[in-house]
Amino acid sequence: MKAKRRLLFQILAVVLLVAIGYTMTIIGRGHTIYLDSKTLEYDGQTYKPAYKTVVYVDGQQVAKLYDKERGVATCIGQTLTVTLEITQQKGGTEEVYAYNIPVPRKMDNVIINLPGFLAGLPEEAYLSEFIPSPDEVAADETDVPSDDDFGMEDMGMGDESAAQ
Amino acid sequence: MKKTNVPGSQSFGQKLLQFIRNNTVPIMFILICAYCIPQAGFSWSYLLNEVMTRLGRNAFLILSLLIPVMAGMGMNFGMTLGAMAGEIGLIFAADWQVWGIPGMILAAIVSIPISVALGVMIGKILNRSKGREMITSYMISFTMNGVYQFVVLFMMGPIIPIVHDSLKLPRGYGIRNTVSLLSMRQSLDNLLAVQVGGVKIPVLTLLIIGLACLFIVWFRKTKLGQDMRAVGQDMEVARDAGINVERTRVISMVISTVFAGFGMIIYLQNVGNFPTYTAHTQIGMFAIAALLVGGASVDRASIGNVFLGVILFHTMFIVAPKTGAAITGDSMIGEYFRVFVSYAVITLALVMYESKKRKNKSLAGQQLAAEQAAEEEASK
Repeated sequence: MKAKRRLLFQILAVVLLVAIGYTMTIIGRGHTIYLDSKTLEYDGQTYKPAYKTVVYVDGQQVAKLYDKERGVATCIGQTLTVTLEITQQKGGTEEVYAYNIPVPRKMDNVIINLPGFLAGLPEEAYLSEFIPSPDEVAADETDVPSDDDFGMEDMGMGDESAAQ
Repeated sequence: MKKTNVPGSQSFGQKLLQFIRNNTVPIMFILICAYCIPQAGFSWSYLLNEVMTRLGRNAFLILSLLIPVMAGMGMNFGMTLGAMAGEIGLIFAADWQVWGIPGMILAAIVSIPISVALGVMIGKILNRSKGREMITSYMISFTMNGVYQFVVLFMMGPIIPIVHDSLKLPRGYGIRNTVSLLSMRQSLDNLLAVQVGGVKIPVLTLLIIGLACLFIVWFRKTKLGQDMRAVGQDMEVARDAGINVERTRVISMVISTVFAGFGMIIYLQNVGNFPTYTAHTQIGMFAIAALLVGGASVDRASIGNVFLGVILFHTMFIVAPKTGAAITGDSMIGEYFRVFVSYAVITLALVMYESKKRKNKSLAGQQLAAEQAAEEEASK
């Protein structure tokens, strides 16, 4: 009886940990969002960008975009909450809008075309995946560990930031 | 008049001498810091900031050493295994693109089964090498470093799925030399952080460390905790009292390894990246040195020793290069100084522990001989 109860608790603990882990993969899923202020052609129609769009995420300005410019923001979770300060024409008044943009969970890097999004087009029109070129990924080093594998370089002697 | 050895009857001088003898290492470090701090010339706010950062970064790791000491297994050099488990958890969190605190929690969850398995393994090995736990755990950490390298360098990619090329070596398998944790850098430290007089206090990190301390205090009072203390004091007596000594020792290693995994995750989120193949190698050494500097010994360590040790050891770490530069004109002298002091303090603590043990043994022998002589005298 005692052994059964113990096993039950162990199974429950494992299930709980797996559930928490899975929840973390959803609520903590990070995305890099590229916000494009570029003309979009869709269904035979042309959607032109505003003269200036200022993008705020979590109250912080992340980009000030004119025509043909791209801004970058990061997003944790499946919704990007942005505040856009839009000036349609040069010298015009600024209009402020807040949006929640759904972000697909499986995409790491997402391109959002702002004119398309603001025009209320479907997701496949304004959202696409950004895939970095393999050259870019492989550019920064690297080889297999060196002979100095016992850590003096990294933990004690060399790099001050890593040394405790 | 007969001389007594009752502690209360000691003079102030004797008490002072006893205190100094019992706290040689912390006193030595207080003196080193007292000399080095003015020489280094850092402002107090800078120094306090650095100490606070390092306290948040290291305290959890050092706390993981307390339970094996309680169980009489000495300093757990095998905590490196927990650190490896924490790193594997972080590699997966980075690969699955889970950022911030959720990424840390996920890494901790991934590290748990690995830490438990490694803890059981090291515990069982140490049960076969009773009395030589420290050197055995030290050697196991080297052995497992090779296994870790094999897993991370050859199995991650072809056997263990790694999705992102940015993590893999250009050849297509194995993890790169450095794993970036930029997406979770200081996410724990910055959440609820407050500035007091220019010093950043990582409140949430300190709260987690506080919870770990509370866990240790509570654990000591549990049946298992009492068993561990009994095992630590005398294994044979504990066995006679019906305690499963081997199981108790294995549990202590499992708890220590799991804690070390969590500690490594907290440590690395503060740093913001880690050298994949070397980050864990010296972590045990520095954690043990810090605990010993705090006044702990191989058979006795407390939470107070952890905090005093982190403060003293890391103050020395911060000021040593600048002091070296101020005294000799070469900051590398200070760099070497702080590294050799880490090893020296462990050596000193081990020597002191052994000499104290021998002294106590010989005192006990002398006492026994005196009692026997007295008995013989009385029977004549």
